[in-house]
Amino acid sequence: MLTYILFMLVVGSIYALLAQSLMLSWGLAGLVNLGLAGFFAVGAYASAMLTTWEQAPILVGVSVAVLAGGLAGLLVCFSTLRLRDDYLAIVTLGFAEIVRIVASNEVWLTGGTDGISGVPVMIARDTGVWFHLGTLLITVAAVILVYVLQRRLLASPWGRALRAVREDQTVASVAGKSIVRFKAQAFSLAAAIAGLAGALYGHYTSYVAPDQFQPLITIYIFLAVTAGGNARPAGAVLGAYLLVAFLEATRFLAEIAPGVTALQAAALREIAVGIGLVIVLTLRPDGLLPERSQKAPAS
Amino acid sequence: MTHTRRQFIGTIGAATALIGAPSILRAQAQGTFRIGALCPVTGSGSPFGSGMQKMIIAAAEAVNAAGGAAGRKIEIVSEDTQTSPQAAVLAAKKLIDVNKVQAVLGTWSSGVSLAVVPLTNDANIILMNTSGAPALSVPPANAKGLSYRFQATNDRFGRAFAEICEKEGFKRPATMAFNNASGVGNTEGFRKAWEAKGHKVVESVVYEPNQPTYRSELQKVLAANPDVIVTGSYLADTTIIMREWYQSGQPVKWVMPGWAASPDLVKAVGPDVVEGIISVDSVSNENAPSYKAYDEAYRKATGQPGQSNVYAAMTWDMVHAVALAIEAANGTDMAAINAKIREVSNPAGQQVYTYAEAKEALKKGKINFEGASSVLDFDQYGDVTPDFGVFFIEGGQLNRRYVVKI
Repeated sequence: MLTYILFMLVVGSIYALLAQSLMLSWGLAGLVNLGLAGFFAVGAYASAMLTTWEQAPILVGVSVAVLAGGLAGLLVCFSTLRLRDDYLAIVTLGFAEIVRIVASNEVWLTGGTDGISGVPVMIARDTGVWFHLGTLLITVAAVILVYVLQRRLLASPWGRALRAVREDQTVASVAGKSIVRFKAQAFSLAAAIAGLAGALYGHYTSYVAPDQFQPLITIYIFLAVTAGGNARPAGAVLGAYLLVAFLEATRFLAEIAPGVTALQAAALREIAVGIGLVIVLTLRPDGLLPERSQKAPAS
Repeated sequence: MTHTRRQFIGTIGAATALIGAPSILRAQAQGTFRIGALCPVTGSGSPFGSGMQKMIIAAAEAVNAAGGAAGRKIEIVSEDTQTSPQAAVLAAKKLIDVNKVQAVLGTWSSGVSLAVVPLTNDANIILMNTSGAPALSVPPANAKGLSYRFQATNDRFGRAFAEICEKEGFKRPATMAFNNASGVGNTEGFRKAWEAKGHKVVESVVYEPNQPTYRSELQKVLAANPDVIVTGSYLADTTIIMREWYQSGQPVKWVMPGWAASPDLVKAVGPDVVEGIISVDSVSNENAPSYKAYDEAYRKATGQPGQSNVYAAMTWDMVHAVALAIEAANGTDMAAINAKIREVSNPAGQQVYTYAEAKEALKKGKINFEGASSVLDFDQYGDVTPDFGVFFIEGGQLNRRYVVKI
């Protein structure tokens, strides 16, 4: 039971990193990023390929993953400069699918649909509960690091300007802010965080394959961020942990529901997720932790 | 009406406690051997998953009716892989740590099996799968020798395809594969075996899943003017490919794996379209009494004939293999059980077909369990080595012409 809970907390932490990534690009910069799974995959593959095949140290792998995520973010951002809202959403969704399909076809580069088995782990696997606990500490440390970073950014003039860009691009540019620069920075930073999440995920489960980066994961993170509050780091983190807790709880609920077949139980779980979101959004339309309006700094 | 955050969190907390309680109680049960059924109930494996899961339960009932294994009842806990490695890992973790299962049975797609195997290795428990990917045979996936495969590897399927093409006198084969470990494994296995015979493959196409049309891929293959197309495909995509090929009017023969060229395919596109297609499948052990027992159980559980789901026959055999190993090891020590799996399934020994019969025979000496899905002999990698049946679709019927041994 203990390692199960630890396992879920690690997965929750990975989701919390992804949620913070989405919060930065979507909640703060207003860039609807449906390509989250793609950046997640870029990070996971970058680190897994380096550490498994080139025997690079994990720290190097993770650093490269963050860089690769950031670069991919920059690339996507510059190729979508003039897009907002729905159009950007579609292009980023396409990006995620491109990453997945390239990963499953370029066998020489990624190992194709077999994926990469035996990715090295951060804490030795045969240490039992310490493997999970150690990995949990590392991932939670990453979540806290990103959280503190986001809080700092948010409180800084950069964060204010970013929100100004989100609210009204024209006003922001009239005020002398470079829209392109802010968008590119925010998007690329968000993608780097997703890359970090991917690397940590690969080093925990020891297996990276294209199938793991289906668009469903992006939808889950959107759920988490919507439920938690899409413009506050704390909201995103809380939403991610709650999402994992909720998804797992439905597993046990389906088990004790009387007289349902396996197929019906599986469907019930999906229904529960939908109902859960509807309830949260009805009761708390801005998420559990809505954005606080900031006072202008006294000067 | 106002709702506070505290109320909301309180409700979630209470719900979690409520759900948590019975599972802790459940984990205390004594005198049982718990097996996790981890089948693809939803997702792309769903045509098979339900039946696979039902056969795990039915086989456990058969074992329990014969007095259990080593004096213990087999208890089944089921989870759904959703045919997704992500979801499967979460479900497997729950089975292993919350339900304390000592074996995980029934993972279907290769991606799922490869994702789950690190977890079962960590816990030092057995994983039995029906996946085709060659990577599952060797380390790191099967580093501990705890993973068993009840399906022929894609490599073996490919070799069987090559034998058939040679026997049928084809000269210019092309391949089409669904892009996953299993689909590409089939056609790559074929290419290797075919080139080893000194021939050439005229065109190879790999296509992405879930497309509404495969016309451009099909045109590319047909442009090379092959006399036969070997596929590594599934039912849904094959249905579309067959329709589009029939419309094109270009004559060519097809060799397909049995899960694609099945009676369902005939039903979907009509007997005219699929006339003459060669369907290859690992031979279920159809004439064995174990197959009869399985078929009966499958009909009872689903109302369908047993041959409609080859994977269900495999999961039926999984429970038998594990239960007999427990009985032979006379305890629940995993290392001892694992050491007995081959001993009870492989020759030499008295051939046995049902659990009750095998249990009796085990008292007298060595046994060789013959399964419903195959004769169930494992090689050093934990892979079965079945024979392949070659079926021709004629007038809407699948008729077996001959058997290929590799």
